[in-house]
Amino acid sequence: MRSFVPPLSRLLLWPSLIIALALWLKGGASVGGGFPAGAFAGLAVLLQYVTVGRDQARRYVAVRYAAPLAGVGLLLVVGTAFMPVLAGYAPMSLFPRPGQPELGAGGLHLHTALIFEGGLMLIVFGLVVTVIDRFALRTGTEEESGP
Amino acid sequence: MPILLPILLALACAPLAYVAGRWRTGAAAWTGALGALVALGALVHEWTTQGPSRLVLPWAPTWGLSLEFTRDGLSGLYAALALGVGALVVLYSRAYMPHHLAEEGRPARDEVRFQGLILAFMAAMVLLVTVDDLLLLFVALDLTTIISYLLIGFDREDPESRAAALLSLVLTGATSVVFFAGAMTLGLQYGTFSLPLVIERAAHDPASTGALVCLAVGALGKSAQVPFHFWLPRAMAAPTPVSSYLHSAAMVAAGVFLLQRLYPLFAPATEVRDGLLAIGFLSMGMGSLMALVADPFKRVLAYSTIAQYGYALVLVALGSEGAPLYVAAHAPCKAALFLTVGAITQVTGKKKLSEVSGLRHSLPVLAGASAIAAAGLSAVPLTEGFFKDEVFFAALVPKGPAFMAAGLVGAGMTLAYTLRLWWGLFGGPRQDVPAAPRLLVAPVVVLAGLILLGGLVPGLLVEPARAAAEAMRGEPSTLELAYHFDARPENLLAVGAWVLGALLFATRHAWTPALSRVLEAASRVGAERGYRLLLHQLDRLSTWLHEKEVRDLRDRVASVLVPTGLLGLAVLGVTPLRDRFKVGPVGWADVTLVMALAFASAAALATLRAKGHLRLVLLISCVGFSLAMVFAFAAAPDVALTSVLVETTFTLLFAGLLALLPEDRLRRAQEEAQKPRGRDRLAAGVAGASAFLLSWSALSHLHADRVGTRTVELAEIAHSPNVVAAVLTDFRGLDTVGEMSVVVAALLGVTSLLGLKKGRR
Repeated sequence: MRSFVPPLSRLLLWPSLIIALALWLKGGASVGGGFPAGAFAGLAVLLQYVTVGRDQARRYVAVRYAAPLAGVGLLLVVGTAFMPVLAGYAPMSLFPRPGQPELGAGGLHLHTALIFEGGLMLIVFGLVVTVIDRFALRTGTEEESGP
Repeated sequence: MPILLPILLALACAPLAYVAGRWRTGAAAWTGALGALVALGALVHEWTTQGPSRLVLPWAPTWGLSLEFTRDGLSGLYAALALGVGALVVLYSRAYMPHHLAEEGRPARDEVRFQGLILAFMAAMVLLVTVDDLLLLFVALDLTTIISYLLIGFDREDPESRAAALLSLVLTGATSVVFFAGAMTLGLQYGTFSLPLVIERAAHDPASTGALVCLAVGALGKSAQVPFHFWLPRAMAAPTPVSSYLHSAAMVAAGVFLLQRLYPLFAPATEVRDGLLAIGFLSMGMGSLMALVADPFKRVLAYSTIAQYGYALVLVALGSEGAPLYVAAHAPCKAALFLTVGAITQVTGKKKLSEVSGLRHSLPVLAGASAIAAAGLSAVPLTEGFFKDEVFFAALVPKGPAFMAAGLVGAGMTLAYTLRLWWGLFGGPRQDVPAAPRLLVAPVVVLAGLILLGGLVPGLLVEPARAAAEAMRGEPSTLELAYHFDARPENLLAVGAWVLGALLFATRHAWTPALSRVLEAASRVGAERGYRLLLHQLDRLSTWLHEKEVRDLRDRVASVLVPTGLLGLAVLGVTPLRDRFKVGPVGWADVTLVMALAFASAAALATLRAKGHLRLVLLISCVGFSLAMVFAFAAAPDVALTSVLVETTFTLLFAGLLALLPEDRLRRAQEEAQKPRGRDRLAAGVAGASAFLLSWSALSHLHADRVGTRTVELAEIAHSPNVVAAVLTDFRGLDTVGEMSVVVAALLGVTSLLGLKKGRR
């Protein structure tokens, strides 16, 4: 009997990623933020690893390049924190500054905190996916070369 | 920012030389030397047109920290030395390194790396002499230490080179940490690190002896003075251009430079200066004696350097205005002699005095030029070296006959070992060797020309020497340099020294064997042996601690938890206890919270009796999930969401990790965990009690309402109605940056550890 789980989990990937993106974007205004978004996206990928296996899961570019994505995330985080220093602001100054008007509509507001949170998301996602991938790799090779 | 121009030019040399070296290997040296000369030109131009000045760049003004640079006599003199000798050494290396690299069996392209390092060292040295701030002084000092490690160990295939590099790194690094301690003490005592301010405040409130001793130790280590002297002869394992630069004009000069820069602090501390005086005389005597018997040429020069910096130290300790001049007059002579022996090693392949002789016939130009350098080193008239001994004697005369006698013997031995070296190389029965490449000889000739020029026209030296003495002592200098044909004590002492030196040289066959035996015996109880013993004991201590720590997993965990727990308890112990531990009210509204907490505690207790690792993981995640529930009840949906996600990820990954561990290892760990030992209970008790008490104390002091309302207000202003997000990204943003760096470090660890294991299979 074919299990309904693998096709279902494959269907679930994109909605989960969109929810993760939503968590990231509305983090400034309500429940959410970069950290849970990254963990959520990581869990979505974990589901793929468990149900369809490492090779299938690695079809996605974001999965193959998870560790470099974390590097990009760190650059975003550090950049948001220290770029303002070049313009003479204190480190970790976010824009628009308090009191300045901000752009945006509804739950979405353009703010440099979003870039920062995006960096957090990429780092957490990169960590979770890389750890999963390494575990899968190790268990996979063990089965092949095992007794 | 005119003061910075020479520094910036010096800093640009190494990268420019590297780029040029990528194009043609040979271009690196020429570019670097040109850069150094341009920087020297800028320095001289600024000095002659603008005179002394300072530059202060604020760095962290709230902490009173700034980057301060100065242009005064001292910085000008030493920077000119570093740049001028640096340029010549770089050119010399162009001729020396290809041969050296070929002998070591390394590609010729490595020369670019070498030139880059030499130039980087030059830049660090220029930085060191130009900064006017205790912290920057330390930073620049350590920069020179690190680059010198790379330079001394440049022949990385050679174990002796590597050991020498490590020894010099450990000694000069450890002493510069002591220097840092001294600098910090001064900074705390005077509330500033800016040198002029420190010196100004020290005029009313003298610096503490401890701080001064710390500063002096840093300087002595750098200048290879007793008892830290033994790294220098070892460091002769380096390629000769390194020795000729670092160990004549740059690295060893840094120590004496520091003492001169900080002299106003030392001036009132007579006891410290007396100590320095004793060390100076000791280094002088020891270095000279060793130089009289050493056989490898470079060792002779190394011991001579120890002795000569002993002289410089004596001058500083006596507060003589000739101290900067002494270093400046010594450096070109010593550099020229190092370059000479390097050239000889290259053409003959020999390294010891007993293996060569009579090279004057084959290498006449080198013989002549190095004769001038040797004359300069042993203070013969018509060379600038004459004046270094003149200021030395002038400083000793007022101190009385004992000091005069010591100076006379020291100067006599200098002449004796210099004669021995030069005669051993160029005198005696003729040996024929191939001619030396012109580029190898040219720097020696240039240096010899400068030494002669300084001796023939002493007026040229007067102004820089006076400016430097003024910067050192903070009062106008009246230093005079001229030849006097009369029976003043300085002249009599000089004549006495020459006679003594000539006598020692003439009778050398009579006393050399006895002296080498005595020195051999003395070296068994010397400082070097003490250093080795200390290192050995430290090594044993660290091994012992390591073995205690890694005996098994529980001990390893305990070695983290117990010190942390004790630290927490100590913190609680030293802070006042009033209202420390409060028990708050519990109402019916809190029932859900209490239930969730009870569930969490029950799960935590259950882990103690759990059998099987998977069950353990599930129980721990139960704790996490029930805490998430607590957050949800406490109206903190953001934290609850994150908790749930993190718990889920953690549980799944932990379960996955269990699949990676060997079965029997897991079973054994289970069995051990069921039988806790006494010390395990103790460790758990300490860690648990500390965590419990710290949390209780912290929660008793919450000003929840005040902090909460204020935070919500601020979050609105910061355009982030979500308070948690505002705290994470805005109020505590730098913390988050730090935490995220840790996460990325963990990621790198996972990648390399798990990837590596796979490769080993």
